[in-house]
Amino acid sequence: MKALHVCKKALLPFFVGVMYLFLYLPIILLVVLSFNASPYFYAWDGLSLQWYRELFTSTEVWQALQNSLIVAFSAVALSLLCGVLLVFYLKRRYLRKTTLLFYGTLAAPEIVLAVGLLSAFVYFAVPLGLLTLIVGHTLIGLAYVVPMVTSRLQEMDDALLQAAMDLGATRGYALYSVVLPYLMPTIIGAGLLVFIISFDDFVIAFFCAGASAQTLPLYIFSVIRSGATPMINALSTVLLAISSLLVLLFSYFTIKKGGGDYA
Amino acid sequence: MKQSLRASLKSEIPFFMVVPALVWQVLFFYLPLFFVIYISFTQQENNLFSAHTWENYATFFAWPFARVLLRSFSLAVGTSIICLLAGYPIAYYLARRAERWKNVLLFLLVLPFWTNMLVQVYAWFALLERVGFVNRMLSYVGWISTPLTLLNNSFAIYVVMVYYYLPFMVIPIYAVLEKLQDEYLQASRDLGATPIQTFWRVTLPLSMSGITTGFFLVFIPAFGEFVIPGFMGGHKYMYVGSLISYYYLVARNESMGAAFTVVSGVLLLVGAYMLYRLFVHFTPAERAS
Repeated sequence: MKALHVCKKALLPFFVGVMYLFLYLPIILLVVLSFNASPYFYAWDGLSLQWYRELFTSTEVWQALQNSLIVAFSAVALSLLCGVLLVFYLKRRYLRKTTLLFYGTLAAPEIVLAVGLLSAFVYFAVPLGLLTLIVGHTLIGLAYVVPMVTSRLQEMDDALLQAAMDLGATRGYALYSVVLPYLMPTIIGAGLLVFIISFDDFVIAFFCAGASAQTLPLYIFSVIRSGATPMINALSTVLLAISSLLVLLFSYFTIKKGGGDYA
Repeated sequence: MKQSLRASLKSEIPFFMVVPALVWQVLFFYLPLFFVIYISFTQQENNLFSAHTWENYATFFAWPFARVLLRSFSLAVGTSIICLLAGYPIAYYLARRAERWKNVLLFLLVLPFWTNMLVQVYAWFALLERVGFVNRMLSYVGWISTPLTLLNNSFAIYVVMVYYYLPFMVIPIYAVLEKLQDEYLQASRDLGATPIQTFWRVTLPLSMSGITTGFFLVFIPAFGEFVIPGFMGGHKYMYVGSLISYYYLVARNESMGAAFTVVSGVLLLVGAYMLYRLFVHFTPAERAS
């Protein structure tokens, strides 16, 4: 009877353990294989850094990384700028309803977003490239920035703004000196989130980047499709490390200082 | 005169500040959606759209297209259900049982959100190949003598779909269970309910909002998914996403692609609405706050 009880108690942790193994076994294997001297994943020939060497000397990877970074930084800058200005300058009573306007982006499957943009670009004969990609990623960025900043601003005491204005600050100066510092943790958090979403995005890039602009996810896609090289293991490991770092930064800025339930 | 112009301009500044984001959203989200609908009624030749027609839609009244839609729909429903069954215990454990390890486990759960999807999909090849990790482990233990075919079939598709979408299910359920007040469970126990009764009659109904959110966070993107079924199914089966991308990127027939996007979009909306009604049916009317 007691053994049965212990069994029942251990069942849930055991199940959770198995599920975490399911979630992390592929990633662990990937990281281990990135250090494998053998090019075959079924043979272990000892430790080696050759795939990392190959990775860092590949001009195609550097070019794709450069494109990805240009797009990601532009999308972060644009969506933060437009988003924060909107939230700050919009009359308070319209804020809730306007925020709803931006939820649509996330409610639709990503492919619908991509196809919509592509249809419009094709119809107006807009050449596809990094610019069209930035347009798409900024759109997704706004869908995160506007709700996050709105919910943070609504936590703020209006008296702070009132006091600044009473003391003679213009609205612009009050934004700069009072509101912006208050919103900063959320703005940084949202910026990190938009950055990684843009940096990782495949679907929008697949449709809206055209043939000339290759981002990192597009590069990975083409390599996997044409028979992957072990270099992809090394690239994946580097990307995983970057992701982990960004999650830690994100939770540092948002969870400690408030900012909501955005994973 | 000059003075008043400046004054009126100044009062208009807030308007200009609000415009960029709104214009962006309307110009690049809502207008393109209308465009998809618009060009779905056109016929296309050499990037010229002309002749309003229903013909594109008529094409899709055929069994092969219905099968593509059904396949995506059942993949989305199947993935959501498996994610729910596997994800609920995880969310429950994280919210109610894991004490010391909670933050680490949450971090590990959120990390995939921030990780490149292609990296996650690619990681499975080394596991599921004929000479991959799983087959080697199984034959090492002695459970199999010939390697199993684990790739290029629906098994592989479902495994990786669940793998990728599981966190989307767990997080919202966790968020609800974490806020669940102990008093309710205490009251249920004091009134003589067994733990199982408490779970079915108190915990589960009170977590329906999280389940609903999680279900749709998985269901909607899974319906449009084409990368995972493509790689894991060996490009053997057509899904909604793969057909749309075929029309747009390979056949270069945006009109047909748009028409199929509209058809599948409508099906998605109808399906999602019906599922939503189902969830509402099982949600207790008087929600305790």
